[in-house]
Order: sequence, then structure tokens, then C-alpha cells
Amino acid sequence: MSDFARTLALSASGMQAQAARLRHVSENIANADTPGYHRKLVSFGEVVEGGRATGEVETGPVTLDRTELTRIYDPSHPLADATGHYDGSNVDLVVEIADAREAQRSYEANLRMFDQARQMHSALIELIRR
Amino acid sequence: MDFRSSHVAQLYQAARPATQPGARDQAQGAGEAFARVARDFADTVRQGEEAAKSTMTGDADPYALVQALAATELAVETAVTVRDKVVEAYQEILRMPV
Repeated sequence: MSDFARTLALSASGMQAQAARLRHVSENIANADTPGYHRKLVSFGEVVEGGRATGEVETGPVTLDRTELTRIYDPSHPLADATGHYDGSNVDLVVEIADAREAQRSYEANLRMFDQARQMHSALIELIRR
Repeated sequence: MDFRSSHVAQLYQAARPATQPGARDQAQGAGEAFARVARDFADTVRQGEEAAKSTMTGDADPYALVQALAATELAVETAVTVRDKVVEAYQEILRMPV
């Protein structure tokens, strides 16, 4: 496989990983008001094939954020305890939006690389076309 | 630099075999290389088709599709350009006044 084809594969894996990250961010945001919800964290890792790193990236297993759940005061809530509090989620919307934006930027970077590899190959072939 | 006619004749004699059809193994090596390139090209195109097909039936990710189609596009572009060049060279030889 030529270097350009490799670049296409690597960029595609990067875009796929960022899309998976965005999916988990949207899960977190969707569950921001779910009582007892721990936000999900995505880890990235290099793809290893036959003991050698291929350079591609993949998302690893999802882990849960272990920070304390927020205590919300609402005596009318069905889950409220004797003090009138219940456990909310530990999702911070500001953090999630920042994470989503980061995923977008990273995705764009991979997209640019993809396009650039294509353009470079086309320009090379254009040389002998005349 | 001086060119003595005997020297030139010698060089010409030495270069003669290149025009003989006897240079078999060389031609065979080139033919094999060409066959390999053609096979690679066909494989790339087939992969692109497979990816497109499985996307239509709904069980492939769009990244694999885009990547396979981009690779196919590059391969086809290369093949078409090289073919055009070869045909052009052939026609150029045909036009040569003998």
C-alpha cells in the first residue's frame, strides 16, 4: 500500500475515533439530568496488529468518571432522602461542550489530512498528464 | 572528447542485442511487474465496490466507504493517466516517418 493510501486509512481511523468520542459526549449531555448518572470517558489507543503499531487510532474501553455525584435539593423528588436531597449526575455541561468542540476540531484536522493526501496524489499524477 | 568511428561502431555492436527479440527474461520481468500492478489496481477497485455494496445494505461504516472510494479514485486516476501516456507514446511511434 502506498503512503497516500496509508494516510487515507489513518485519517479515516482518526475521524472514526473522534466520531465515537462525540457520541459519548452526546450521551453525557443527554443524561445530564439523569439521577445517579456517571459521565462516560473515552480513551484513545494505537491500533496494534501482529505486535506492531499500525499508526491508526481506535477508541478503547469506556470508563466512568468517579467524581462525586452532585447532591440536588428537591424534597418533592421521588428519589429524595430524609434531608430532601437526591443524587444527580456528575455531568458538567461546560466540560462536555468543550470536549465536543475538541472532537470537532480534531475531526476537521483529520479531514484536512485526508483531503491533502488526495490532492497531493492527484497533483503528482497531473505531472505526467501534461 | 573525440569520437573515433571504430569505437562508435564497437559501442553500436554492443548495443545491438537490445533490439533483438531475444531479451526474453527482461520482458518477462516487466510483464510480471505489470501484472502485479494490474492485480493491485483490480483489488483496489474491488474493495471500493465491496465497501459501496455493504454500505448500501447498511452494514459498513461511512469511513470505510469514503476511504475505499478515495483509494479507488486515486487508483483509477493513475491507471487512466498511465494508459493515456502509453497510448500517446504508441501513436507517436506510429506517426514516425520511416
